[in-house]
Amino acid sequence: MSFRDVVKVYPLPAGDVTALDRVTFRVDRGEFISIMGPSGSGKSTLLNMMGCLDTPTSGDIYISGTRTGDMSDSELTNLRRDRIGFIFQYFNLFPLLNVIENVTFPMMLKSQKSVDPERGREVLRAVALEEPLFTHTPLELSGGQQQRVAIARALINDPDILLCDEPTGNLDSKTGAGIMDLMSELNRKGTTIIMVTHDQHIAEYSRRTIRIADGRIVA
Amino acid sequence: MIFWEIAKRNIRIHMLRSTLAMLGIVIGVVAIASMGILGNSLVATVSDSLKSVGDSVIVTPYSGGGGGMGMGGGGGSSSGSLKITDQNFQQIKRVAAPNVAIPVYQTSEHMKIGVGSDDIVASIYGLPTDDVPDLMKLQTGDYNNGNSGCLVGSTFAKDHNLKVGSRISMGTDGSKGTLRVTGIIEERGMSFDISTDNAIVVTDEWFENTYNRNKDYDEVVVKVKDGDTASVKTAIEKQLNKHKDNKIVSVTDSKATMNTIYETFGTVTTFVSAIGGISMIVAGVSIFNIMMMSVNERIKEIGIMRSIGTQKKEVMSMFIYEAAIIGVIGSIIGGILSVLAGYAISALMLGTTKYLLTVANALSVAEGVGFGIVICLACGIYPAWQAANLNPIDALRHE
Repeated sequence: MSFRDVVKVYPLPAGDVTALDRVTFRVDRGEFISIMGPSGSGKSTLLNMMGCLDTPTSGDIYISGTRTGDMSDSELTNLRRDRIGFIFQYFNLFPLLNVIENVTFPMMLKSQKSVDPERGREVLRAVALEEPLFTHTPLELSGGQQQRVAIARALINDPDILLCDEPTGNLDSKTGAGIMDLMSELNRKGTTIIMVTHDQHIAEYSRRTIRIADGRIVA
Repeated sequence: MIFWEIAKRNIRIHMLRSTLAMLGIVIGVVAIASMGILGNSLVATVSDSLKSVGDSVIVTPYSGGGGGMGMGGGGGSSSGSLKITDQNFQQIKRVAAPNVAIPVYQTSEHMKIGVGSDDIVASIYGLPTDDVPDLMKLQTGDYNNGNSGCLVGSTFAKDHNLKVGSRISMGTDGSKGTLRVTGIIEERGMSFDISTDNAIVVTDEWFENTYNRNKDYDEVVVKVKDGDTASVKTAIEKQLNKHKDNKIVSVTDSKATMNTIYETFGTVTTFVSAIGGISMIVAGVSIFNIMMMSVNERIKEIGIMRSIGTQKKEVMSMFIYEAAIIGVIGSIIGGILSVLAGYAISALMLGTTKYLLTVANALSVAEGVGFGIVICLACGIYPAWQAANLNPIDALRHE
């Protein structure tokens, strides 16, 4: 994935706000990158751009060689579904669906029909969730367990990139460490991970850190 | 598909709210469909009682106004009233051929049934003996075969306990002789030509002798065999009302009159159903309301779905399914209840439920159910569209 002179301006009544100012960087396959910076520095905007949820005002973003600026909403949606896995601070599981259904949801989106739950179980075992919990609803699980389910959901379609927004921000440090160990292991197996965090300890799990301030990369 | 499942579960966890919205649709469907059923049954009832009229053209003397339909009669003395002359009758007969033209005398008379009974007044029709079978059927007995015989209407016979062979003393204190009942006429219901249910039918000869009449008729009934009443009517008018300022007869076409009646009923049914439609629109508003609530409660969920690769149309389908489930279940329950309601209304208002199982009623129910489903879908579209077009980033941030 690469960003080339990416600018994002939010037009507001009080005046335009430049969230990203000519950002250029490159992420190679298999990297584990953390993005750090103070609030309002443009971290979230950057992550949204990488996740194809937002498009730049100017500049180009390439994901696996495809320029996202030219893509329709539907194509971007499919790109998110097939190539990108999202992990959020608040887990963001669907309360109406049980664990297996949550995990296989992106798979169903892709195949457009019901899917073999065995693949969901396989991924859930890979993220070390206990088997008896598979049929529970998310609200019956602890934070750490929910985040493991969320990671399993993000992994189900074998994405190229895993985008994480403060993945441990809502967990205690011990549980957070468990999640980070899992991420490191996924990275060792080849998954590209880009993680936004403001926690220095968490950032240490990554192999490269991009620091951002006022919409610019500073280090 | 998963979105169908989510829609189902969302309805289930908001059972009360969904049930209330469904109730609105049920009421709307019942209102529309049962009103339709009532209207159809009314039309069926009326057309059933008008059936015996068949296709006839009724000719009455022109009275300056719009002309009567031949129902009811003048008072006891009708000598001053307008008549149809024999000459005119012959003209009508010629024009109407090969259809049968039947001249009718009519008046009303005092009479007594049995010794010491009360004096009553009833309509009397005088008809040529040969033509009587063309106009009416008998329940029991025979058609008049003698001058002092008479036929009585079924209601009249029942009310006054008359049987074949009973005697009726005509006129005040029997001044006009005695008639013997030879037959009882089958119920004919409402009619345009002559109303026999509560009347006595005598021979034209007896009538002429008793009332000093000489081929000056009160009414002429033409029984039209091929059903083309309109052209018979036109032909008679053309022949007899040659001069616009000097019309001789008023001509009523039973078929056209019946059609007018049906049209009127149809209009009333439509109007009443439209009032039912208002309750359906209210129900639609409540569906819209709960769909908007459902979308607003799930903004974050929509954001998550969109961010992990759910297409707009898939988000939309989820909400449409929700509206559809409420609409289909509500409408089907409404359809079933409206049959029951139609049954109850028919039984109470018309006193019969034999007109319930008809194609028209099935259509009314289908119309109500279809309208219910369409309203639900229509009211679900905007909220669903709104959900699908939320900005995923804003939706994700929503708390």
